[in-house]
Amino acid sequence: MAVPGNNNRMVTITINKNQYLAEEGEIFLLTAIRHNIDIPHLCYEKALEPYGACRLCMVDVVTCGKTEMTPACTIRVHNGLEILTDTPQIIKHRNLLFELYLAEAPKSEVIKEMAAKYGVTKTRFLKKIVHDDPLQGKCILCGLCVRVCEEIMGNSAISFINRGPYTVINTPFYEHNPDCAGCAACARVCPTRAIVCEDIGESRVMHSWSETTVALVTCPECGKSFAPQRLMEKVLTKLEPGLIEKIKNLCPECRRKYFTRKEIHKIPLTDREP
Amino acid sequence: MIIRSQADLESIRKRGLTKIQPNHPRIGIGVSSCGIAVGGMALYHRMQEIIQNNSHDILVVKSGCIGYCKEEPLVSVYIPGKSQILLHKVSIDDAERIISLACKGDIPQDLALCRIPDWDHITGNLVYGDGFESVPDYGEIPFFSHQKKVILRDCGLINPEDIDEYIGIGGYFAAFKALTSIPPDTIIEEVKKSGLRGRGGAGFPAGLKWEITKKAPGSEKFIVCNADEGDPGAYMNRNEMESDPHMLLEGMLIGAYGMDVHEGLIYIRAEYPLAIKRLTLALDQARAYGLLGKNILNSGFDFDIQIATGAGAFVCGESTALVASIEGKTGRPRLRPPRLTEKGVFGRPTDLNNVETWCNVPVIIGKGAAWYSAIGTKGNTGTKVFSLVGKVDNVGMVEVPLGTSLQTIIYDIGNGGALGKGVKAVQTGGPSGGCIPQRLFDTPVDFENLNKVGTMMGSGGLVVMDEDTNMVDIARYFINFASSESCGKCVPCREGLKHMLLILNRIIAGKGTQNDIKLLQELSDTVQKTSLCGLGQTAPNPVLTTLKYFIEEYDQLITPEGR
Repeated sequence: MAVPGNNNRMVTITINKNQYLAEEGEIFLLTAIRHNIDIPHLCYEKALEPYGACRLCMVDVVTCGKTEMTPACTIRVHNGLEILTDTPQIIKHRNLLFELYLAEAPKSEVIKEMAAKYGVTKTRFLKKIVHDDPLQGKCILCGLCVRVCEEIMGNSAISFINRGPYTVINTPFYEHNPDCAGCAACARVCPTRAIVCEDIGESRVMHSWSETTVALVTCPECGKSFAPQRLMEKVLTKLEPGLIEKIKNLCPECRRKYFTRKEIHKIPLTDREP
Repeated sequence: MIIRSQADLESIRKRGLTKIQPNHPRIGIGVSSCGIAVGGMALYHRMQEIIQNNSHDILVVKSGCIGYCKEEPLVSVYIPGKSQILLHKVSIDDAERIISLACKGDIPQDLALCRIPDWDHITGNLVYGDGFESVPDYGEIPFFSHQKKVILRDCGLINPEDIDEYIGIGGYFAAFKALTSIPPDTIIEEVKKSGLRGRGGAGFPAGLKWEITKKAPGSEKFIVCNADEGDPGAYMNRNEMESDPHMLLEGMLIGAYGMDVHEGLIYIRAEYPLAIKRLTLALDQARAYGLLGKNILNSGFDFDIQIATGAGAFVCGESTALVASIEGKTGRPRLRPPRLTEKGVFGRPTDLNNVETWCNVPVIIGKGAAWYSAIGTKGNTGTKVFSLVGKVDNVGMVEVPLGTSLQTIIYDIGNGGALGKGVKAVQTGGPSGGCIPQRLFDTPVDFENLNKVGTMMGSGGLVVMDEDTNMVDIARYFINFASSESCGKCVPCREGLKHMLLILNRIIAGKGTQNDIKLLQELSDTVQKTSLCGLGQTAPNPVLTTLKYFIEEYDQLITPEGR
């Protein structure tokens, strides 16, 4: 398959009756974003395989005069591709989906802002209220956290629990999970900022994931706790061996200082500014 | 014994025939799930006990279900040289009488349902004999006379736990013919010519799917049988597997040979323990005869089948969720493409067909595509098995040529509503289908015509509703089912169906408004158009069709304040 960014063939595609040049094989959603064509989306992340669960990026693909609704994150660009992003049908369904999201994650400011941008400010559906929700009533179950934990970090510390309308995301049996590396990649990719974690002293507490607590590495230079221990161990195996000895336990800031000092010392004393 | 030649197969056929038509009386007890539910197993054990205690020269065997579930437990009695007799609604107290009469070459006339002088197994013809003229002929029973048995040809007549009986009526001869004298591509060509369409509900041409799988790059491929039948009210596949498991295995063997695939899987739901048991037994027996394994029938072709059981999720009948489940992952659908024929089980090209699709294969190869395509209508060839259930008089398993009208199925075969009540509608295709009102009963049952009236073929459940049924309640029942079976991956299905259920509950509780009906319509449309997989895309059908055909029932539930 053609990989975007690798000098692929440029092809002509039609979006809303206008023609654009696009790279063959690229995911259409990214092409559209680059051309400033607005398509709302929640579950797409470049680093992961398309998942197609949020259904907000549905667009019409026109083939031989017939249209078919398809998520933009699953369409690969090819020559002659024709897309409509704002037909009355698309807008109608998208607005109703926004209403469903507003009911599902009533506490999410991100969802409220996104929906408002498309003119949806209230929902006709019963709002979901969960007391003591570890995800603060903001989770829309897009699955990005679960996927990043499994596919990128290789930890699978969290997963979907139950099914259908009872689906939630958490650690197995809602217990403290030793598989969690504490990398907080989940919190980073969460589109609605639902995941809560906090660094307290020498540990990181994943409040949303059953208070899973991981130890942090403390910088011997400045005494600041800066990264989860297990994550550090993993990262260190990937560095050049000669490089690591002196700096491996330092926090990023002290590392910068170390290299700056080293560079400064290379300059002969006479050339240094007084 | 390993079958290596036609002579080997022929000798087993003869042995099998003497089991079906021994020179002493043979009594077959219907012990499929439906028969067992009304005491079939107890009856079987009681009969075995009587025979052993009195050392009668009578053979008592298990048999499957002939389809007339309403009349279970059904018992077949064969007296050498005479017509086979079907006894109905047999109770354990009748056991002694049946046996003592059989010893004298007679039958209890009061329990007799019909007689079978001869039977066309399609793969072979069996003549039982004459006699018992006072008992109505099989063809005189309305429930049977409008049916055409192709897939159910052996069901209820042979012992599903004995491979010899299946071979006895000509089973595995099509596989023998295929493996020893037909080139694989000709097999696929023949299935294409037969016009066989997928019986799981979508109706995709089976031969074409086989061809695509065969042409897919890669040497290691899978064929899979989808036996995750989960529609409420549908049990065709269960009966096919419980009553005639070798028909499925033979179909898969021929398919595997045509596609040059060496690994087969049957994905079956755990809720079908008897079908699993009988399939496991059938697999063992087939292996013992060398019909599965290495160098099958001395043809040099290797193939084996394994069973994978589900864990109770309706959505696992969806192809990509089914694959995820086989791989040990959560049963959640993924995006398509890639299709299974390209990337299926463990990433390998996979051909997935429904139980009934596979079951059609032996007769297509045995009798030829022309014979098969003469059944049914153009574009919809062959027969289809339906489970006729709900508030219909004759509940049971019905097989008719495609294109038969609902009228024929519900009135001629089903004898109309139960307890003499009027029929109001029929639900086809389970939770994915819709409710068809009585005035549209002249609709021919085929893939296209059912779609036209807003429903679908599905796997073949026909749930009949009578005049007492509230259609809004029916819609709620199916939405509740679909919502609780939703995997929860995409928002329209997970949240949309939940809110549809809440709205329907509100309407039924008398708290609904006209706006609720409007919102329900709107939401149904969005769920249908934007869901990720077939479950969500078809789940609103029961609501959409009841809104279309029975809107007055919704209106009646809206109080004056809600108008």
